[in-house]
Amino acid sequence: MPTESAGPAGAKAVTRAARVRDSSAANQTSASNGSAALGTTELSVHYPNAPKPALDSVSMTVPRGSFYAVLGPNGSGKSTLLRALLGMVPHAGGQAHVFGRPISDWHRRALAREAGVVTQSESLAFPITVRELVAMGRYPYLGALQSETTTDKEAISQAMRMCDIENLAQRFLSTLSGGEVQRTRVARALAQEPNVLLLDEPTASLDVRHEMEILELLRASADRGMTVFLITHHLDLAARFADRLLLLDRGRVAAEGEPREVLQEETLQRVYEWPISVSDDPATGLLRVTPLSTVSGSGQDSDSS
Amino acid sequence: MWAGIYVFRAGALTYFSNTVRGERGMRCSVWFLVAALVGCEPSPGAQVPTVDGEPDTSSASYPVELVDAAGTKHTFEAAPRRIVSLVPSATEALLEMGVANRLVGRTDYDRVPELAGLPSVGGGLQPNLEILVSLDLDLVIRFAGESDLATAERLTALGIPHFAVQPDGIEDVLTIIGNLGRIMGASDAADSMLSEIRGVLTDVARRVAELPEPRVVYILGGDPPWVAGPGTYIDELMTVAGGKNVFDDLGPLYAPVSMEALLARELDLILLSEGLTPPSLLAHVRSAVLPGSVEIPGPGLGRAARDIAVLIHPGAFDPEPR
Amino acid sequence: MKPVTWAVLLGFIVVLVFLLSLGLGSVDLTIGEVYAALRGGGDLSDRQIVVDLRAPRAVMAILVGGGLSIAGAVFQALLRNPLAEPYILGISGGAATGAVIALALGLAASFSWALPAAAFAGALFAIVLVLRVAATADGGVDVRVLLLAGVVVGAYFTACMAFVLSISDARTVRTLVLWMMGSLAGSDWRTVGMVTLYTIPASLALVGLARPLNLLAIGEETAGFLGADVERVKRIAYVLASLLAAAGVAATGVIGFVGLIVPHAVRLMVGSDYRVLLPLSFLTGAVLLTVADIVARTALSPAEVPIGVITTLVGVPLFLLLLRRSVGAGTGIGAGTGSGA
Repeated sequence: MPTESAGPAGAKAVTRAARVRDSSAANQTSASNGSAALGTTELSVHYPNAPKPALDSVSMTVPRGSFYAVLGPNGSGKSTLLRALLGMVPHAGGQAHVFGRPISDWHRRALAREAGVVTQSESLAFPITVRELVAMGRYPYLGALQSETTTDKEAISQAMRMCDIENLAQRFLSTLSGGEVQRTRVARALAQEPNVLLLDEPTASLDVRHEMEILELLRASADRGMTVFLITHHLDLAARFADRLLLLDRGRVAAEGEPREVLQEETLQRVYEWPISVSDDPATGLLRVTPLSTVSGSGQDSDSS
Repeated sequence: MWAGIYVFRAGALTYFSNTVRGERGMRCSVWFLVAALVGCEPSPGAQVPTVDGEPDTSSASYPVELVDAAGTKHTFEAAPRRIVSLVPSATEALLEMGVANRLVGRTDYDRVPELAGLPSVGGGLQPNLEILVSLDLDLVIRFAGESDLATAERLTALGIPHFAVQPDGIEDVLTIIGNLGRIMGASDAADSMLSEIRGVLTDVARRVAELPEPRVVYILGGDPPWVAGPGTYIDELMTVAGGKNVFDDLGPLYAPVSMEALLARELDLILLSEGLTPPSLLAHVRSAVLPGSVEIPGPGLGRAARDIAVLIHPGAFDPEPR
Repeated sequence: MKPVTWAVLLGFIVVLVFLLSLGLGSVDLTIGEVYAALRGGGDLSDRQIVVDLRAPRAVMAILVGGGLSIAGAVFQALLRNPLAEPYILGISGGAATGAVIALALGLAASFSWALPAAAFAGALFAIVLVLRVAATADGGVDVRVLLLAGVVVGAYFTACMAFVLSISDARTVRTLVLWMMGSLAGSDWRTVGMVTLYTIPASLALVGLARPLNLLAIGEETAGFLGADVERVKRIAYVLASLLAAAGVAATGVIGFVGLIVPHAVRLMVGSDYRVLLPLSFLTGAVLLTVADIVARTALSPAEVPIGVITTLVGVPLFLLLLRRSVGAGTGIGAGTGSGA
């Protein structure tokens, strides 16, 4: 919804919002398997010794080339969904498919050539340089003792360029800042030359600048045709960058669709069990999701739910 | 048994907390040889074989056929001219027989002056094979032990003849002396050693025959104290000397026992290994310290038996003119 | 320095040290005598010393030193722990228990190979036991449980061994204590042949697993996402590395510290890429153990210093030196942990 705004920042934001809408419009009707990057049908996952299922009959679709964000409170099953999609946890029922094929049909290495994953965190056992870490993304393409070919070297350089870490190539990871490390990990995933990127809260411990850098990088990739599957806590940023959202609530789908459809006050308040206000920011024209305070004196009315 | 004691000392280093005892243990191995040799003065009237020069081989009769302690048959066409003995009691016997000049090497535990100039082959249980090979030997005298079958095989593979002996008890030592005498063509010397030893043993047995057996224990040291059980050489000596080992129900050859066990068994005599003092709780019991040499079987066993008998039955041994 | 350069240099050093090992020992031999002996001529006793005594020892040092180093590097990747070494999972305890039982039962009296065979059997038993404890429902290996189970099983076996020792005679005690400190003295061509049979194939197979092992260093989950068959790799790596260590222990007793420091030293030289780390570790370990064996044989000749003592006494200062120099450069041992959050 383009709105009038003052100042160059506003103009930029308008353009961005419009772009988001355009691409989401194009993808709106592509919910069928054929053009879906990832999808599940009634997928359930049950961890042993858990009282309730981690995922309960979840059906969702990630259209090809879209920026798809997954939201939900802690324990709602977001990380489980990512892993179940890629066959890393056993299914208790239902189906998951990647690029039209059931996940059980996928060979692990072939899958790694299509899907790049960035998990929340890693602890490295031994010292490693940036370039070495990014180079590991070429694992799915190389034989047991084979050396890197020109193609591999190109892919690695390209990935590092995209993430703006070329000048850090020979640095040891332990000497980098949190943001630089995350960009390196994203670069590794990009070095896999995947068609879909899956990220689990990659910006959780990053400051504003580093977080925005990564999100803008992901957005740019999506614009170039990459499918992005992003798990995040940041409702605002999800609304801003994503084409489609999935809101999970205790293992179930609470809502799926465009940001404005999903981010309804009532839904959010039910799922997050906290009063939340959704509005349009007059300055930027972006959707603004604001948790309300239950302590009086904040100037807002609050409904306890 | 000798090997048992000397290796026990080495092994005991890792078990005993008292480092003083450990050091003493190492020196003990030297002591036994010196003491045994000193104690083994020939009694007047016996034939004394020459120690220098060629041995008296007039009693030699070849070929000699023997079965060694490992069950292997050997045939000796002539006296071996270059030998190494890995078994200290055998080395002692050879020295006494007067064939020391046939020895071209020694172990680290042979520290007597006669052998000092010879190259050492290391320990008796795992000798240095390179040096053995370089010595160009006719015969190696080795332990017939469980733990060192590998050495025997390697000696065979290298073409070095070896004769196994078992130096564990009184009879064993006598057998060794006899066999070595025949091998080296020094049967006369060997026989005179044997008759001397037997003479002393018979004398001791006669003196203690009718006497009641005092209850004796032999303590090697350590905390809790290690004692000698049945089947050990020292146990044999104690029995020959007319005593009763209170721990003749011990399972292993040497084992630590609690103070309670010591107190519970009535003791008439405590025999202590060299350098030890009796436990304070047993200060009321008569005790005596023995030189370390008595723990190790060797040609000095006659003297050792007599020394112990004197301690156990002092009254039976009136001083005699010597 | 490039890895290939290192490999060539180390290979050259291995050959050099091997020849040194033929020439040095309790008996002085000139180069000419050694050369003559190798060609089949010269004095019989010289030939015996060089060909029957020293050569198999030197070859064994290369095999066991290399094998232990590779096994150590693999365990470090598997357990994601820089302190891992080949005996951490109970192998030495199991081997020692097997050995002491063979000694106590007098089996070593009847068969000279009873001791190594029993040691190997004991090690195998420990390996299988630990693997079963750490096995997950889907046939994988939980490495946290693996580490804990290995340490506990090792402690248990050590206690068993101590118990058997406490009721054994002195000769058994001393034999076992010496065996536990490690020695290459028993190396003849037959045992060398048997150790080669295990060591070479297992080492080659592990080098083939270098890439997935690299991925394990980042994390099992990430490795899986990058396309590695993590559970299968862990199981194979565990079994092969354990067999390498077990073969070494059975042949030579417990030679400690080699499997721990060599991979780290090599890491400090060339980094953590296992495609390079494994072969260079083999060569470095071979050099280290051959040199240690030379020292063990000559330092207190004619007595032999147990080789495990030498590897530790020499290895630790060297390693500390390397460590100090690397800490400043940020490439030190602990430098990798905790990043990437």
